[in-house]
Amino acid sequence: MTGLASIIWAAEDVPEKHWSFQSVKRSAVPKGAVQPVDAFLNARLKTAGVKSNGPASARDLIRRVAVVLTGLPPTPERVITFERDLAKDPNKAYSALVEELLASNHFGERWAQHWLDVIRWAETNGSEANLYRKMAWVYRDYVIRSFNEDVPYDQFVREQLAGDTMGRGEATGFLVSGPHVPAATVGQIPEAIRQARADRMDEIIQTVASSLLGLTMNCARCHDHKFDPVSIDDYYSMAAIFQDIEFGSRSPEFSKDHPRHLKGKTLMKEIEVQRKVMRAQGPWQEDWGGYRQVHFNAKKVKAVRINFKTPNVAIDELEIFGPDQKLGNLALASKGTKVSGPDKMNARGRSGVWRINDGEYGTMVWRANTPKGSKEKPWALLEFSEPRHVNRVRISSNREYYFETDYLVNKPKLAFSHLVVEGQGVDGQWSTLAGTYYIDTLNKKHPERATALAKIKMLSDRYADQAPRPSFVGRFVKPAVTRVMHRGSPENLKDEVMPAAPELLSGELKMNSKTPGAERRARFAGWATRSDNPLLARVMVNRTWQHVFGRGIVPTGSDFGRAGAKPSHPELLDWLASEFIKPKRANTTAWSVKDMIRLLVHSDAFKRSSQPTAGQQFDEALLWRYPPRRVEAEVIRDGILQASGKLDSNIGGRSYRIHNVKKTYAQWEVVDNHAPHTWRRMIYQERMRRVDDQIFTAFDFPDCGQVRAKRPVSTTPLQALNLMNSPFVVQQSAFIAERAIKEKGQGAPAIKRCFELLLGRQPQASELESCLAVSKSRGLKFVARALINANEFAYIP
Amino acid sequence: MSNNAEHVSPIGRGLLDRRSFMRTTGFSLGGLGLASLLAKDDPAAFSGKHPIRPAIDPDNPYAPRSPHFTVPAKQVLVIYCPGAVSHVDTFDHKPALEKQHGQKPDYIPEVTFEGPPGNVAKSFWEFKPRGQTGKMASDLLPNMAGMVDDFCFFHALHTETAAHPQGENFFNTGFTMEGFPSFGAWVTYALGSENADLPGFVAINDPRGLARSGKNNFGNGFLPASFQGTDFTAKNPPNNLTRPARFDALDDRATIDLLKHLNDRHLEKFPGDANLAARIASYELAGKMQTSVPEVMDVANEPESILREYGTDNGSELKKEYAKNCILARRLVEKGVRVVQLFNGSDPSGGNGITNWDSHANILKTHAMQAEIMDQPTAALIHDLKRRGLLDHTLVVWATEFGRMPFLQGNGTGRDHNPDAFTCFMAGAGVKAGMSYGESDEFGFKAVYNRTSVYDFNATILNLMGLDHERLTYYHNGLERRLTNVHGHVVKEVLA
Repeated sequence: MTGLASIIWAAEDVPEKHWSFQSVKRSAVPKGAVQPVDAFLNARLKTAGVKSNGPASARDLIRRVAVVLTGLPPTPERVITFERDLAKDPNKAYSALVEELLASNHFGERWAQHWLDVIRWAETNGSEANLYRKMAWVYRDYVIRSFNEDVPYDQFVREQLAGDTMGRGEATGFLVSGPHVPAATVGQIPEAIRQARADRMDEIIQTVASSLLGLTMNCARCHDHKFDPVSIDDYYSMAAIFQDIEFGSRSPEFSKDHPRHLKGKTLMKEIEVQRKVMRAQGPWQEDWGGYRQVHFNAKKVKAVRINFKTPNVAIDELEIFGPDQKLGNLALASKGTKVSGPDKMNARGRSGVWRINDGEYGTMVWRANTPKGSKEKPWALLEFSEPRHVNRVRISSNREYYFETDYLVNKPKLAFSHLVVEGQGVDGQWSTLAGTYYIDTLNKKHPERATALAKIKMLSDRYADQAPRPSFVGRFVKPAVTRVMHRGSPENLKDEVMPAAPELLSGELKMNSKTPGAERRARFAGWATRSDNPLLARVMVNRTWQHVFGRGIVPTGSDFGRAGAKPSHPELLDWLASEFIKPKRANTTAWSVKDMIRLLVHSDAFKRSSQPTAGQQFDEALLWRYPPRRVEAEVIRDGILQASGKLDSNIGGRSYRIHNVKKTYAQWEVVDNHAPHTWRRMIYQERMRRVDDQIFTAFDFPDCGQVRAKRPVSTTPLQALNLMNSPFVVQQSAFIAERAIKEKGQGAPAIKRCFELLLGRQPQASELESCLAVSKSRGLKFVARALINANEFAYIP
Repeated sequence: MSNNAEHVSPIGRGLLDRRSFMRTTGFSLGGLGLASLLAKDDPAAFSGKHPIRPAIDPDNPYAPRSPHFTVPAKQVLVIYCPGAVSHVDTFDHKPALEKQHGQKPDYIPEVTFEGPPGNVAKSFWEFKPRGQTGKMASDLLPNMAGMVDDFCFFHALHTETAAHPQGENFFNTGFTMEGFPSFGAWVTYALGSENADLPGFVAINDPRGLARSGKNNFGNGFLPASFQGTDFTAKNPPNNLTRPARFDALDDRATIDLLKHLNDRHLEKFPGDANLAARIASYELAGKMQTSVPEVMDVANEPESILREYGTDNGSELKKEYAKNCILARRLVEKGVRVVQLFNGSDPSGGNGITNWDSHANILKTHAMQAEIMDQPTAALIHDLKRRGLLDHTLVVWATEFGRMPFLQGNGTGRDHNPDAFTCFMAGAGVKAGMSYGESDEFGFKAVYNRTSVYDFNATILNLMGLDHERLTYYHNGLERRLTNVHGHVVKEVLA
């Protein structure tokens, strides 16, 4: 054991002295190797008396580096050129290949998949209804783009914590990546509602602490952490940091040059042109799907009254706007607006009319019904704290469901139809501002309105897809005062705590319960990415190592605490962390993930053969050979599609669907997991919590319920059945056979082509013989089917 | 699967069987590997009890493994009733409700799960003494009531949530949140299976579909995928089990022989690689399953008398289907499958207008419809297991996520969720028969005497399977995880 390591372990009994909480120490690179990574590894191999393997074959090396970097095996053509170039100039050939792969847009897809695993990101809520999270995928695309653009890791972290303050609003999808239970399922008991909020906060803390810090903070939810110096106060101080976050949707904040922002502006201008046409004749209404908007000529009023013309109404929110956009929704209770309505009409068991201006969208609605025999219809009166200019009313019944979810049989409908908007002028006189019956009459009288309305509809549909729209990346709420919950119970509140990071890591941030939410997160982000944070760089460098070599230097990638495993090469880990934060190599950027990967894949250790040594078993962590491993579900699926030539390699966008459109309370069912619309990389398959895709879930695809530092690799007969008999594999086998025959002709050439396409090599004589027999008697597609199932296809060599 | 080093925490590492540790991780004694760095850790510093880690053979993750201690039970059948069965209308007799019927006493809270409650309601079905023990049970489940002498009731169960999905999660995985391994996965992880041709853990979903927590009820969570429940019913085989349409037996034979040839050649390059060998073995098990699963699913070939006894010939279509699932359950137990989880109820998506035991409105009708499906087949199943001697080594657990309120909801016809008192029962290997453990208060509103948490209940089931719930652990993200988290006490009083 080297000097540093023994000092670290000797201090182990004191939790505060645990190795990972100490500052990163850059030790000198051991002498004797060209590459620093090899220098550290070789020193250990020497001490252990273990001889390392020689280099891997060209074919194994290109397959390995291509899968590790992009998740796709190399094309047969690229294998051939690489073999040729490698023979001529090994360094140049390999460097060129690595640069090509790092520059490929598929690099971001591959590394985003790893990141999404760690934070268990998915496009459904989990829980009973397991509702779809509409447009959550903008976050997935953000992650792909960030890895592709090599956004420095510290910036990537800051954006995910406080992207709303940096023109990268969609990045906060990170904070709400975990599962949550929607309000309707929580029920009406106040204790349960408080508990559910505490659970959601816990999901956020789990995400942040595990992924960024490698800390299992959530252990401190009920009591001080058993193993690590994290106190219950630390836990709730961390909760205070994220107190303004709630699971839900908002329109992400984009910088002025963000493509979505620009598109939205253009579309809104076009809509305004059409609105001018409408305004010429008087009031009109627009249907925006989730809500209806009634426009009228601006007037200064003390109060607004909505008279509904239907006997039953259900409203989650009623908003009033004026010509001054900056003022926002004038109806909000928080702006001093008082609301009243016919209390006697409130539906039993439902709360009152105050629901409509509490700023909360969703299932918690005001429901009013006209009593039998009565002629009075529901109404709502909104009295402003001071006279306001108003020109628009926006009403919805369940806007949350409309904007937050999708693919439901019963799209949320507006539970009201006709209404009249009245305003009370400064003089106290009431007058009608707009009425929907009158609007219908106007529309009939002025045929040119139909064209304008149709244009508005068309533009608003386009707006819904292309402009900044509510996306499931979290929404903001007013941060409540945070108190320690004794034994984790929201019913047992103790002392108030201030927003802060863990004390152990100098987390005092000089904030209090009045500090605005965004500032809390931004300052926490600043703290997390400080160059003296001992955890951030170590954890990320270790993850990178894990995805390159199959296991981390610290095998427990999301637990760097005392219950986690210790680093196999502590000095190397620290050297890499230090190089990540403050690189000393030429032409490298601080916090560059691509530079770090480049360093690792250029090591001899990465380029070694994976051959086992006869009769001997050495510790794999020493990396005397490159440890072969089974690839993930995605690599199998993407590799099959690439071999058949069917892979649509477009980057990003809406996920492809394999499921049904369902009722709210029903399970998702797989409808079609193999049709042409699914022939994209699997990272674009809707990530559903705990839903079996009936093929690849069996390959340890995460259920996205708990954070996953590393996927287990298990072997089950269900994998075999899926890969032998699923319609996807059956169909793709036929495509691969068709392609091989089309490109090379029948017989041996077609079989050779199948080997090239799936395994990147030529068959051996005995293999060719067996395949020819099968091809002749049963057909070439059965050869392809066998190759897809072969161990060689499923392993990184 | 491989028992990778990263699944081994300092807490458990020192306790590993040395030989299996070497075999599965390839650590050398001479190397400066993880093993030597960790040798100094004292597991007892972290917890009082040392974990017992099953040594899993990567070639055959389902190989039978020894329990922690010897018990009669080798297998377990869980009959799970999603939706919450009303205890006060089935097995928890509360005469006080008859006196209070129609009244609104002080103990009724202002709001329960769905909103403001109504008045107290006595049981909708008459209670009568049954069997030798004279245990009171209602007419709602007459066949099951007739077997009370075989059952061990838990009347003072309480849970941590009043919502179904969280309640199902909690009962089946020990956590209200998603993503934790299910009870069945834990048992299969610990004990493997007695049958080499079938999966070790089979989940039989309701004919109407999955329960509300879906796959989470029988998922592997962070345990290796080998230990997930494989779901099929008497009607629907597992996904992709059958040979694709248009392929014949020779096509499959040719593919499999060719695959074997390719894999053998490949394995020559990696002699002794356990993971590659395991994958080859998994194709063999898959091949066996293609025969063994359709065989075990073939309930139609049971004798007429059995079909009649289970009730596949009478009643509603759903009952007939459920009865076939019950026969399937028996056949799986007979074949030595370690864990069988049988569902009586689904998510509120399909079927006859009701989908499970949830009865917020018109409980008189909805509980009766659900009971018609469950009663005869379930009673026949337990009876059949007993007759065949299978109960001697099989534990049967009948469970639901919580109870229902002794008073009605505002609508005056249904009962709301009651997380504070409910009833489940066990029967068979290792558990006392004709027993009732714990009591709810005189209204069935709250558990009061010998209160039993779901943790306790699960700890007891594991104990009955020969497993110490505090020592059956798996390292995940910083913790030695258990089915019972950091809670749970074995209810010793029910052990035979």
